[in-house]
Amino acid sequence: MTLLSVRNLRVSFDTEAGLVEAVRGVSFDLGRERLGIVGESGSGKTMTGRSVLRLIRPPGKIEADAMHFDGADLMAASEAEMRALRGRRMAMVMQDPKYSLNPVMNVGAQLTEGLRQRDRLSAGDARRKAIDALEAVQIRDPERVLSAYPHELSGGMGQRVMIAMMLIPSPDLLIADEPTSALDVTVQAEVLSILDGLVRDRGMGLIFISHDLRLVARFCDRVLVMYKGRVVEELAARDLMQARHPYTQGLLNCLPRIGGSRGPLPGLDRNAEWAR
Amino acid sequence: MAGVATWLREPNPTSRWQARAGQGYLSWLRFCRNPLAMIGLAITVLLVLMSLFAPLLAPHDPIAQDLTHRFIPPGTPGNWLGTDDFGRDIWSRILFGSRITLYIVVLVILTAPVVGLIIGTVAGYFGGWIDQVLMRITDIFLAFPKLILALALVAVLGPGIENAVLAIALTSWPPYARVARAETLTVRNSDYIAAVRLQGAGAARIIWGHIMPMCLPSVIIRVTLDMAGVILIAAGLGFLGLGVQPPLPEWGMMISSGRKFLFDQWWVATMPGLAIFIVSLGFNLLGDGLRDVLDPRSAGR
Amino acid sequence: MIEIDNLSVIFHANHRLVRAVEGVSLSIAARESFGLVGESGSGKSTILRAVCGLAPITGGQIRIAGEPVLTPRGRAFSRRVQMVFQDPYASLHPRHTIDRVLSEPLAIHGIGDTDRKVMRALEDVGLPTSFRFRYPHQLSGGQRQRVAIARALMLEPAVLLLDEPTSALDASVQAETLNLLSRLREERGLTFLMVSHDLAVIDHMCDRILVMQHGRAVEELDRADLVNVTMKTDYARSLFNASADRML
Repeated sequence: MTLLSVRNLRVSFDTEAGLVEAVRGVSFDLGRERLGIVGESGSGKTMTGRSVLRLIRPPGKIEADAMHFDGADLMAASEAEMRALRGRRMAMVMQDPKYSLNPVMNVGAQLTEGLRQRDRLSAGDARRKAIDALEAVQIRDPERVLSAYPHELSGGMGQRVMIAMMLIPSPDLLIADEPTSALDVTVQAEVLSILDGLVRDRGMGLIFISHDLRLVARFCDRVLVMYKGRVVEELAARDLMQARHPYTQGLLNCLPRIGGSRGPLPGLDRNAEWAR
Repeated sequence: MAGVATWLREPNPTSRWQARAGQGYLSWLRFCRNPLAMIGLAITVLLVLMSLFAPLLAPHDPIAQDLTHRFIPPGTPGNWLGTDDFGRDIWSRILFGSRITLYIVVLVILTAPVVGLIIGTVAGYFGGWIDQVLMRITDIFLAFPKLILALALVAVLGPGIENAVLAIALTSWPPYARVARAETLTVRNSDYIAAVRLQGAGAARIIWGHIMPMCLPSVIIRVTLDMAGVILIAAGLGFLGLGVQPPLPEWGMMISSGRKFLFDQWWVATMPGLAIFIVSLGFNLLGDGLRDVLDPRSAGR
Repeated sequence: MIEIDNLSVIFHANHRLVRAVEGVSLSIAARESFGLVGESGSGKSTILRAVCGLAPITGGQIRIAGEPVLTPRGRAFSRRVQMVFQDPYASLHPRHTIDRVLSEPLAIHGIGDTDRKVMRALEDVGLPTSFRFRYPHQLSGGQRQRVAIARALMLEPAVLLLDEPTSALDASVQAETLNLLSRLREERGLTFLMVSHDLAVIDHMCDRILVMQHGRAVEELDRADLVNVTMKTDYARSLFNASADRML
């Protein structure tokens, strides 16, 4: 079943230096699965994720032939309708929890704010729901975390709080933009297993944006490889190591590997053809 | 013209000077996008031109009295802003007054921000007891209302334009020290300062060459926004008779002397008041525009 | 070249004592490349900062080429040891041109012949000399890191401290930067002390590896231990398992 369908998405910015096209004609479908988007910085992967939520500020402009989310036309939706969708049905986790949590509100207040205002829950009910959500992301002492301020949390803890916050309304679609790149490998594994559980148990759709090919290969079902605003290759994640496109192959080859040769790593010879 | 623009836009400058000019040109282009800032700049440039060419522009001697032409209302040919109680042409007096205003402004710019910048960066860079001592001194100066402190200083030093400048400068450096210190604290622990420290640079070199350039934009913005206040304090001192002495044409003093005739000959006090208003507005608009261009936080976005 | 004996680093942060490093010892021969791995908060970066004087030495001793380091480090030290920082966006002065960045160390040490040396440095790190008067914001992340490496080498040090030098870079740029570092080490006989959280990068660059956790040394490994998975401690093994995909 298709949850999100995007056809010919284009994002452009009108800057002093001229028109910059960040995304140039991206199309994909997402079911209740884990879709990875990989690419280097500037490939347009973050912009693709943000434009699904229509979170691009002027002078940025989003255009698409079609963008549908579970029956709703995202291109035609008004700003009020988008606000209703965001958070409740579609959510986003950003790379750095430091910039996504409000530094002057404690975690409890931020977690319950939506519940109290949007769902009109009582303070007690909202608090109980917040504690449940923190437990769902494997936080052992949710009471303490609720009364903590963001700067008192470690990176991994902050990231888990972010995920908990996004998951309270049980969204159908979660866009995770580099959710683990600020985390240590062991914490990273925990966060990934939380996300994995949500896709499996709640049937959520996940767009996982990352620059780490190996991580995406291990974690996702399907992968889009982006280069300069275009999708150059789409393939099943388990086939990533046998990628066809020279760009994907190049990205894989230039990674050092444990026990690999210590000679110079192969570089990536960019071909103008790839960007077409 | 096209040649100069390409030279300025060159992505690979061939000298430090060209690189700096190129950056300046980009800032200028950004500045030009803000119409209000351009109005502010125009007012400021106009003020400078007025004071430079005052003798050429003024139709009359600003000091010469002519009691037969007292209180001519504005709009009269030859005296389009009218005359005051001594028959002096108000337009000519405003023109020459702009020289005094500009003189005060320039002297304050050359002293207060420099003192504030040095004290702020030194306090912020060293921290510890140096910071404590310097900032407590700053606090003491900040605790007094500006005009009252300036009044007290002028009362001690005696009236006159230099003493007025000194008083204004002494009362207006503390905010710059605060701004510079705050900026220094954010910069001090950055990697690029650590890198230059690792290269063996001394404190003076780091503060002068690496920290001050980062504090300068916020101080410059603050200065332009404060200029209106400086003009008002200078005018206030003039109004109270503690700044420039008669018969020199100073805007604040002109208002003061026109106060007596405010109801019958309104223009005597209103015209210099308008001049102060327009110039203050000009500096404020300019400061707002500079903030958009120079502020490191808004740049690069 | 670098000997660290029972090093402790303790400092105050928010009225709390932070024991960042406790009793760590290691010894690195000249021309060797030594890696420090561990998770954030393990104290691996603090060791680098303690060596170059950016963090206090609370206990123990650090010796460079047999001589204990002085506090403050002094100019002779800066001609012997230099550092490359993690984030190339934060380690270059935003208002200085590349030329200024590279000539500053020469000016500090009163070394002449600036023009020729700056051009040479740019060529050595593979940057076009036409970049000389650019500002950092006119360069990409990889190019900035090359400038940072060139800056560290201006004083011709024998030791380079590398604090996650490629973790802010894209994969292909990381490969280029690692190749550059390897080449420079070869050409100039440099000693590397490198910190990274990426075991594959450490394995590619380093001869020996110290695994750290909570400010303490856990286990010292060599390359064979890593490839054959013959670590003795559980922590080193769990760290390896979490990065097992790095063998692919």
